Amino acid sequence: MNAVSGSPLDIGSVSDRIQTEVQRAIQRSIKGVEYIASSGPQPGATPKDTIRSRGTMQLYHYRPMTEEIYRIPVLIVMATTNRGYILDLAPGQSLIEFLLKRGYDVYMLDWTAPKPEEKSLRLDDYVLGFIPECVRAVQEDSGETDINIIGYCAGGMLSTLYASTHTDGPLKNLVCFTTPIDFTQMKLFQNFSDRRYFDVDRLVDSVGNVPAEMIMTSFDMLRPAARTMGQIQLWENIWNDEFVKSYRMMDKWGADTLPLAGEYFRQMTKDLMWDNKIFNDTMTVGGREAKLSNIKVPILHVVAEHDHIVPYEASRHLIAKVGSTDKEEVMLKGGHVSLAAGANAVKRMWPKLDSWLGERSV
Amino acid sequence: MANKKSNDPVDVWHTMLGEMEKGFNSFATQTMSSPEFSKVMNQAGGVAAGAQKQFEGLMEKYLVGMNLPSRTQLVSMAERLQAIEAQLNEIRTLLSRMMQDKTGGSGEAFGGLPKPRRTRRPPSAAGGTP
Repeated sequence: MNAVSGSPLDIGSVSDRIQTEVQRAIQRSIKGVEYIASSGPQPGATPKDTIRSRGTMQLYHYRPMTEEIYRIPVLIVMATTNRGYILDLAPGQSLIEFLLKRGYDVYMLDWTAPKPEEKSLRLDDYVLGFIPECVRAVQEDSGETDINIIGYCAGGMLSTLYASTHTDGPLKNLVCFTTPIDFTQMKLFQNFSDRRYFDVDRLVDSVGNVPAEMIMTSFDMLRPAARTMGQIQLWENIWNDEFVKSYRMMDKWGADTLPLAGEYFRQMTKDLMWDNKIFNDTMTVGGREAKLSNIKVPILHVVAEHDHIVPYEASRHLIAKVGSTDKEEVMLKGGHVSLAAGANAVKRMWPKLDSWLGERSV
Repeated sequence: MANKKSNDPVDVWHTMLGEMEKGFNSFATQTMSSPEFSKVMNQAGGVAAGAQKQFEGLMEKYLVGMNLPSRTQLVSMAERLQAIEAQLNEIRTLLSRMMQDKTGGSGEAFGGLPKPRRTRRPPSAAGGTP
């Protein structure tokens, strides 16, 4: 602490540092072998029951962990490109476990890879089919009419479309995490799908469902150096079991990207990336008007300061455009994923979500 | 503290890595934002997608000839297994519900544990801290 810029090196501290680094190098060799030989931690272990399953749709009910729960159940709607276990990584790092311990009755609408015969699924099937079916299943299972929805990323986008087309209920409160609204502000995705050069019809007609590798590559391209730097960090920290555990879970999740149903991808590209219909209030789903101003229920939108996938410019219009009077936007430090999962989320987002939702769940 | 960092070779290494990552990402983002990049990427992507589709078709025929299952068939089999597991879960849920009904809706949930009451109030309502 007493060293000043430009002063000579503190020989004692350098020697300590060298000793530590040598010890770590030895640990790296031992743990490196362990890393290669072991299969890694299993995320998504919070006890749950699959209560509905249809094609790509899976509905889980997590077993309550408290004797007394809030009246209104919560349905989490996951993004269609990713697995829901990002919200249930491990004990102490699980939003699901946190919500259960805080007395919520938690359900999750998760997705599996669409089968070749599901290539014709459209946004309409998700917004007017899967989500309402899960809402009914939650009502039936819980015995409650009202329901709260939490949507993450594209899950948030689907949830807002659901909310704007089902204004008579039973949705009571809506929470969105990093939900894109203005697709012109997703600059790189815009450029990747530039209508002058990107022939979405040719792609979908030739491959059917859009392969997971393509989706993963497009995410990786947003930060091309991230994967390499991640591997360097892993090697540096391989002596640290906690770091390795978190790295492996995140890496597994990142590599577990889902393919997208062909027609859904075509519609997303044309209606959202090209015509920006949600932002322009021209979106329709199955012939129903899906204006954000139709949404009147209380809404919380949590956005991340350093979100490279859905930048703030793309998500900031949600709160301004909904018709709700009880509405709040919270910007928290972190990125697209660390907002919801990881150490940052435990400290920042989860308590905020609990205080907002708890008051509205009785 | 910041001054101490300047003397630590490991911290210097970390800072350098961080800067390199930022610099590379920023350079790549700039490059990928150009219409030329989009044009080249989509031309290459279109050709690759077409070629992959054709190759898949040929491979499928070859595997049929060799009396071997294709990747699609294996994936489909794995999915069917997952579907069977999901159905087993549903059956288990139904059985638990039936057990619940049998006990006259006595408020039992899974595994005979008491079903939680839906009467929870937020800590703020009870005057506590959330």
